[in-house]
Amino acid sequence: MTNNRPRAWLLLFPATVFLLAVFVYPVGVFLLSSFRLENGVGLDNYFTFFSSEVNIEVYWRTVRIALLVTLVSAVVSYPAALAIMQLGAQYRGLLIGLIILPLMISPVARSFAWLVVLGREGLINKTLVGTGVLKESIPILYTENAVFIGLLQLMLPLMLLSLTSALENLPRDVIAAARSLGANSLQVFTRVILPLTRDGLTIGGTLVFTGCVTAYVTPALLGGPRVTMLATLLYQKAGVTVDEAATTVISMVMLLTTLAVNAALKSRSRGAA
Amino acid sequence: MKTALTLEQLTLAYTKNLTTVENLNLTVPEGELLALLGPSGCGKTTTMRAVAGLLEPKSGRIALHDRDITRVPANKRDIGLVFQSYALFPHLTAFENVAFGLRLRGVQKAELEQRVNAALETVALLEFAKRFPAQLSGGQQQRVALARAFVIRPQLMLLDEPLSNLDARLRLEMRVEIRRLQKQLGVTMLYVTHDQAEALALSDRVAIMNAGQIEQLATPEVIYTQPRTVFAARFVGFDTILPVQPLERRVRIGKHEFPYSLESRFNRAAWRAEHVRLGTGVWAARVLARSFEGQQVQYQLESELGVIQAAVPSATAVWKEQDSVTFDLPLEQAVWLVE
Amino acid sequence: MNSFAFTKWMLWLVLFFLIAPFSIVFITAFSDDNSLLFPPSSYSVRWLLSVMQTEIFVSSLITSLWLGFGATAIALVFGVPAAYALQRYPVPETEWIRTLLTSPLIIPGLVIGVALLKQFVLLGGNSVNLALLAGHAALVLPYAVRVVGASLANLPRDIEDAAFSLGASRAQVFWRVVLPNVRGGLAAATVLAFINSFNHVPVSLFLTGPGITTLPIRMLLHMESSYDPSIAALSMLVILFSMVFVFVTERVLGLSRYM
Ligand SMILES: Nc1ncnc2c1ncn2[C@@H]1O[C@H](COP(=O)(O)OP(=O)(O)OP(=O)(O)O)[C@@H](O)[C@H]1O
Ligand SMILES: [Mg+2]
Repeated sequence: MTNNRPRAWLLLFPATVFLLAVFVYPVGVFLLSSFRLENGVGLDNYFTFFSSEVNIEVYWRTVRIALLVTLVSAVVSYPAALAIMQLGAQYRGLLIGLIILPLMISPVARSFAWLVVLGREGLINKTLVGTGVLKESIPILYTENAVFIGLLQLMLPLMLLSLTSALENLPRDVIAAARSLGANSLQVFTRVILPLTRDGLTIGGTLVFTGCVTAYVTPALLGGPRVTMLATLLYQKAGVTVDEAATTVISMVMLLTTLAVNAALKSRSRGAA
Repeated sequence: MKTALTLEQLTLAYTKNLTTVENLNLTVPEGELLALLGPSGCGKTTTMRAVAGLLEPKSGRIALHDRDITRVPANKRDIGLVFQSYALFPHLTAFENVAFGLRLRGVQKAELEQRVNAALETVALLEFAKRFPAQLSGGQQQRVALARAFVIRPQLMLLDEPLSNLDARLRLEMRVEIRRLQKQLGVTMLYVTHDQAEALALSDRVAIMNAGQIEQLATPEVIYTQPRTVFAARFVGFDTILPVQPLERRVRIGKHEFPYSLESRFNRAAWRAEHVRLGTGVWAARVLARSFEGQQVQYQLESELGVIQAAVPSATAVWKEQDSVTFDLPLEQAVWLVE
Repeated sequence: MNSFAFTKWMLWLVLFFLIAPFSIVFITAFSDDNSLLFPPSSYSVRWLLSVMQTEIFVSSLITSLWLGFGATAIALVFGVPAAYALQRYPVPETEWIRTLLTSPLIIPGLVIGVALLKQFVLLGGNSVNLALLAGHAALVLPYAVRVVGASLANLPRDIEDAAFSLGASRAQVFWRVVLPNVRGGLAAATVLAFINSFNHVPVSLFLTGPGITTLPIRMLLHMESSYDPSIAALSMLVILFSMVFVFVTERVLGLSRYM
């Protein structure tokens, strides 16, 4: 048969070379330099990094918030995605447009909105104090809660879109069939919908978790100086204190964490299938 | 008669170790409509793609009017191709679809318009010229695909199951239409189908293809009455194929022997359903099923020879299901085969 | 059906949570106060006018536009042929290349930014600006590859073969048949790539400086130093710009089909 190799490579070559040059090579060299010591190679930079309790705290906080956002977004998105399907095709385009819209809006603008809502003089505190629910305003901004809320709003659309498209690909009438066999709503969900949308859940979970670990603007603006996440720590180490070793280690840790969670989610969904 | 297309020892493969078509030989004289008939997956489309230049042969030779085109790329072959899926350009109107090949050939505007309109008129689609493929019915799309292929005045046209997406009535109409068009244009045509009725009705000659090989190449009449292999016989409707044993001036079928001189190389006999005679003969059977088909009644019989299909003119079809019946397999109507 | 009532309420809640914060931005943008109050004590358009006349905002907007279009152009020029090859000429390496071409999506932007800074700083001169462009192009290349690839997957191969056998060269097949039929995918890829570059912060964080700054970075810097409604005004303008962009694409081409 016709040999496609030369033709394929001619078309793949520019993109491949470009990415190797401006992405794989610099990032690779940078990440590998985390193992470079003054004399030889080793894991010393990692030991140094993780010997600091502050750093460990930052790491766990990042993972904790990312997992929480992933979990909550899944729990919230399932009913919402089901509603999108139930509302029928004529509204689907509009609803999906409304979900995509926030994705198209600058994270800076999105975080800014939360500054106004969550601040000490912000909408929530003013309302709660004004209506007498609270005696005095409570700190929300610059806490983990603020970061959680900001990230949830940032990432929820990704989970929602993944689940919606998984539901769209569900064989027709399986839900009705399950109901006709006597399953109640909860049983329909756990026995039919959940197993059949596992791939969508995996994709959504991967996107959300990765997004949370790597997001910079939201933790920087809503977490403030006290609620440091890996991304903001990386910025401090690289831009403020210029701690090269720590910078490379954090980068590697971020990457490995996201890859590990991606792999875990993928193997779970495959194991279940 | 001059030869239009020659395939010599053509071997085709999609993967390294599995050949789909092996050592295929075929010659098509100029102006002939040759049907390539075979079951699904036997390599018809593969052969056609190779002739069109869309699949490079592993070995062998393809010649068009004595010109070796084995290594000529598809866009230099001047072969008109009609796909099973029609493959119309979705972004172009019917007119522009037909004009596509002419524009590439640099045909001037006036001539182009005249030729495209003439082509659309030939397939009775002139008033649909401005429609996009999505706005045309299956039959109309099929005719645009046909016009697009012949408007470039190709030396050869290849049609890959062009009617398989149409309903039964349209299929009959288009069959006639394609034959008329082929005669009118005098173009050589290779017509791929898995429908034996279509192949027989349409073509000058039929090539029966099985597992990448041509089993028999002959006129429709010969194919219909004298299939040469068991596969060909079964494919053109010889439902009853039985092992036979030629003896000295006799033939043995099952536990009976009949006087008949048969060359000793034959070991199978084949009959069509309408050859089987009911109500007479040495074989006993029971009627399994009976279905009325208008002119005739089709019987399924359970006999000592296995299940036998028989067709009887309706006027004489008196047997009911479960009835016992005798039947005869007339030796003078049998087709003798080797397996 | 009461489960439908529950799911519907959940959907409205989610939509409210996703969309409502933007109304706060819009209201604040019309504030007449000198500092950020909500709700504002009085309204005017003076902050909107002021940001449009502030030289550093305008210049960083222009930077962001150039960067977005440049990165998108590079991503399309490299990404579309690659997407075509991945779809039409599968070779044993296909899966590897596909992973490579979409890998910028899983690497934290900050890491890309620092790594590029380290390498390009060595080159001296204006190379950091080049690094910014290269980084953004790498970042949005996956969109071009994936979205155009999805669109190509819907184009039957027979159609290309038909054009080829009618006498078109491979280049003519591509220009006359393939491109017109993946226009929707191309437009969606363009929008996605541009918007993502336009709004992106992490890669730019280390690669911008006194000379050249993108609009999102400029907004971040401004927020660190002052607490006034100008960011609301800017955010509103940026949101409006994005919304118009997305709305038009969704209406004209059905963007959601390609997401
Ligand atoms: N692109 C391909 N790659 C690998 N194998 C293929 C490819 N296309 C077809 N084949 C195989 O080659 C054999 C012949 O296929 P071909 O399409 O020629 O059959 P056909 O006779 O046209 O059948 P049909 O009547 O169903 O169209 C089949 O076994 C098929 O599975
Ligand atoms: Mg076929």
